[in-house]
Amino acid sequence: MKNENAIELQEVHKSFGTTKIILGVSLEIREGERHAIIGPNGAGKSTLFNLISGRYEVSAGRILLHGADITNQAPYEINRQGLSRSFQVTNIFHNMSVYENVRCGVVWSAGYRYSFWHRVGGLQDVRRRAEEVMERIGLARRRNVLAGTLTYAEQRELEIGVTIAGGASVVLLDEPTAGMSRTETAQAVELIRSVTEGRTLVMVEHDMGVIFNLADRISVLVYGEVLATGTPEEIRANPAVQEAYLGALHKEAANA
Amino acid sequence: MKYEPLNLGRWILWGATALLFLAAPHVFTGGFALTMLTQMGTLIIFALSYNMLLGQGGMLSFGHAVYSGLGAYATVHVLNFAGKGLFTIPVPLLPLVGGAAGLVFGVLFGYVTTRRAGTTFALISLGIGEMVFACVLMFPGFFGGEAGVSTNRVAGAPFLGLTFGPALQVYYLVALWCFLCMAAMFALTHTPLGRMANAVRDNPERAEFVGYNTQHVRFLQLVLSSFFAGVSGALSCINFEIVSAENVSAIRSGGVLLATFIGGVPFFFGPIIGAVVFIFFVVALSGFTKAWLLYLGLFFVLMVVYAPGGIASLVLMQLQLIRAGRWRELVVPCALAALAALLALAGVIGLVEMVYRLSEQGASTVLQLSGLSFDARSAPPWFVFAAVLAAGLASLRVTTRRVGERWGAIQLELQARAA
Repeated sequence: MKNENAIELQEVHKSFGTTKIILGVSLEIREGERHAIIGPNGAGKSTLFNLISGRYEVSAGRILLHGADITNQAPYEINRQGLSRSFQVTNIFHNMSVYENVRCGVVWSAGYRYSFWHRVGGLQDVRRRAEEVMERIGLARRRNVLAGTLTYAEQRELEIGVTIAGGASVVLLDEPTAGMSRTETAQAVELIRSVTEGRTLVMVEHDMGVIFNLADRISVLVYGEVLATGTPEEIRANPAVQEAYLGALHKEAANA
Repeated sequence: MKYEPLNLGRWILWGATALLFLAAPHVFTGGFALTMLTQMGTLIIFALSYNMLLGQGGMLSFGHAVYSGLGAYATVHVLNFAGKGLFTIPVPLLPLVGGAAGLVFGVLFGYVTTRRAGTTFALISLGIGEMVFACVLMFPGFFGGEAGVSTNRVAGAPFLGLTFGPALQVYYLVALWCFLCMAAMFALTHTPLGRMANAVRDNPERAEFVGYNTQHVRFLQLVLSSFFAGVSGALSCINFEIVSAENVSAIRSGGVLLATFIGGVPFFFGPIIGAVVFIFFVVALSGFTKAWLLYLGLFFVLMVVYAPGGIASLVLMQLQLIRAGRWRELVVPCALAALAALLALAGVIGLVEMVYRLSEQGASTVLQLSGLSFDARSAPPWFVFAAVLAAGLASLRVTTRRVGERWGAIQLELQARAA
């Protein structure tokens, strides 16, 4: 039987010292869906991303990628199996140009590994792929600009570009629109929609507009546990979610 | 659209370098110049290989002489065996022996050192350096103890009529290998590994999330670097015909760090400049004054504080001005600053030389400095040089501020025009 889950978390726990952050999360992310993880601050959303992508080791439980166990593998091993992630705080190569940043995301997946006998400028497949990614993220005109001198929104776009450059089948985006203006956010949503076409997307996001616009399914994480998983309509209608999270947001909005 | 036009400037630069290597011993004639040039060639390879770690891979090593030194030991023994007629190996290929030895020890020690980056890497490299130095003294049978192992490079049959007895032939051998290694190391910076070494240096975490094992990248980079270090060790063995514990010592490791930093860590060609300047200090200046090491240290500190990009960064700043056609505006301020620097330098030299002369037992306390004669035991010269130094420093403060202001203004204008 074909495994339909891109990612599967089985009773995953994570604690730092005596502080328990993730308390037994089980989650199934289906192949090809856009899945959003929401929850109040401190719910453990970023920690969950760090566990899936191999940045942290899990304290207990299992994580499967396309049915294969990736629990506690190193980030590069998980990446080679087709999972790529972005970061909440922009994490790019600041001293390299846009083109070189994207190329860094391409070389491994193009099969050149640690080669010291290929001239990187002469690799046509790598170059084509990098050009294509730069077109898609709309930074082709900025190809020779140092990443560190890009505007914030451009850096966020590059962050997504580096993440998808390797052609990963599962993409994890950690708050891709954080700190963006309304127009920038709208552009980012379209960008995310287009670049994750035909892939599985998992995203942490705070902007409800972005989530209800993009996500096929939503999981609500509260204090290290999944409160509910379902379509945007189901989540909106779920009284427990309203109580725990959306209600709190509404209250915040009302107070503001 | 053509993405990589033929880089004409680069070809001209490499061609000019080759010509320079060919012509140098005929421009700077004399045995002393030849000695210096040969040592410069050897150190250029060593410093470039060191910068594969520090500049390109972000690995601060305090034990790089281990690889060049052990490469030199391997070479000296192979050369001695060849001398006894056990086998024949052409002298021009000996650097490959040194390189292979460097590579083997790179694999061995690199496996340990490159497991971590940053401070831990630096400390382990220091430890391995000390360990190897101790081992060299512990096994005098193989390493020759303090005195070292000597050899004769003219062993065996001449290669294509070359005996490598004359210093000029050795120079050209070093120059050839230096050129080859420069080209090879430059090419390496343009490979996937070379680029990922930069990526791992700048942002190891991100590199892991695009599929690269940072430990593996550091390891391969170090192994390749130690190959070139070994080549330079072999060349120094051929040149000096002796290899001793000094070759693997922390002094050597520190020396190459100094040379590389002075030249400019962020730039590929920085260590080349650094090696030339360093040899100038070590070989030429040491003939004039006993205080050369102090001057070198002072120069190093000044570079670290005021020009962390090394001499190369200063050169590139000038090139930028020349390209923009704005260099004329800085000629006068720079000349004034240079005069002030010379004044301060005169003060420093006077004071330092007097201190050294007084510390020397049995030496005359009368100094001759550029035609002036004075006694270090009398007070007036101390006051004069202290005053000169103070005046130099004060005027340096004023003049460099003007250079900085002018430079900043030009930078702003250029940026405004570019935007």
